[in-house]
Amino acid sequence: MQTLVEARNLRKTYRGRVVVDGVDLLLERGETVAIIGPNGAGKSTTLDIILGLKKADGGTVRFWRPDPLGRIGVQLQQTPFFPGLGALENLKLFASFYRVKLTEARARELLELCGLADATGTEASRLSGGQQKRLAIAASLVHDPELVFLDEPTAALDPKARKEVHALIGKLAKSGTTVVFTSHDMEEVHRLAARVVMIRQGRIAAEGAPEELCARFGVADLADLYVKLVEEADEGDEGDEGVRT
Amino acid sequence: MNTTILRSMMMTSLRDKTLFPVGLFVGLGLYIDTPGYAPRLMVGVMALGALFWAMAGQSFQVLQQRNKGVYKLLRVAPLPSLSFIWWMIVSRTILGVGMSGLIVLTGVLLFDIRVTAAGLAWSVLLLIAGSLCFTALGFFVANLARNEAQVNMIANLLYVPMVFGSEAFYSLEKAPAWLAAAGKAFPFQYLVDGLNRTLVLGESLPLFPLLMLVLFTVIGLLLAAVTFRWDEHQALLGARG
Repeated sequence: MQTLVEARNLRKTYRGRVVVDGVDLLLERGETVAIIGPNGAGKSTTLDIILGLKKADGGTVRFWRPDPLGRIGVQLQQTPFFPGLGALENLKLFASFYRVKLTEARARELLELCGLADATGTEASRLSGGQQKRLAIAASLVHDPELVFLDEPTAALDPKARKEVHALIGKLAKSGTTVVFTSHDMEEVHRLAARVVMIRQGRIAAEGAPEELCARFGVADLADLYVKLVEEADEGDEGDEGVRT
Repeated sequence: MNTTILRSMMMTSLRDKTLFPVGLFVGLGLYIDTPGYAPRLMVGVMALGALFWAMAGQSFQVLQQRNKGVYKLLRVAPLPSLSFIWWMIVSRTILGVGMSGLIVLTGVLLFDIRVTAAGLAWSVLLLIAGSLCFTALGFFVANLARNEAQVNMIANLLYVPMVFGSEAFYSLEKAPAWLAAAGKAFPFQYLVDGLNRTLVLGESLPLFPLLMLVLFTVIGLLLAAVTFRWDEHQALLGARG
């Protein structure tokens, strides 16, 4: 298996507070990895450092190729669409960010893959929440990336839309694309991820396949594991005085 | 990319931003039936339209794109962000000049204003310089603001001295000296002055107003560059939170 990203000993401090504290993260080709953890645990900062959006105070990030940007797709929590343009035109504009000329046929193919075949000409801002999320994922795929980062792809979606996004992530994984996503929905994580990385207080608290983690920590499911690890951290906090610096 | 950005701008805001200046020109032009006022009014409306379209339009667009993560996405894509920003500025300038052309056409057809080809050519040059300057200021305003309300507030702080300290709609001959001095501290008056000279007085290239606009453009670009924020959580002056 080929390692696409090798992050070692990442560290980041904001105003004296340690938010990423020696994180090691390996991403292998073709796997689907979920990064979980409470808000403020350091998940987004870790991903931002890997993507080059934030500068680490320490540590290294190595990619499988010298120019990885054109081969990585990113879906942000926000849905950055251009007003006045339809779904298809938005995809074409996003493709230009990657210096790719998206053909009409390929754009329609992507929209179909994301369950948006009927929304080709619909102005992006008029799409439903679920459709917008799927369009954001489609936008992250315009340049056929080998690695895709999805930041809370199902946040604030109703169950139907959530299911549609799950199906889409499943299709991506099946096609061999490496998918890394963050989520607070442990059922979703269990269903989609082959490997789970739990970040707590800037450190990796647990890592492994969902079943393996549950067995190792003696819990029934990932939700129980999540609660257990967060409670442990809270108890640790009560013992400590103030934040770690 | 360039045509798509242009189309996005046209689809979203051109109608409102075109209707307002043309409506203002026609309304005031018909209401104030003073001989010789229509050409001056045309110039004032052109300058005001350029100011609103470039500065307000740009600042709201930048704020929206930043808060929606467009610039963040650009940073993880191979396309240089400056290339995207450049096309936004070019698109806005092209549309701004086109809108001014519509105002001139209205003046010629409705108020029988005579415009020379040379006057038109020089005014295009001035409008390009003015649009670039106001666009740069639009970026600066968006960089200082966190939300739409703040954009409005900061932009109004700049509009008031610019518009009231200019001769866009009235002469400042009898106004207090400080008001005229305040107007000269901002670029708007130089655009009004330049357009007046070329389109109303028939002068050739108004070098001084043009140079002042270029100077303000450089200042605006510097302010915009120093304060630019890639995402909404980034602190001002490059410090990243």
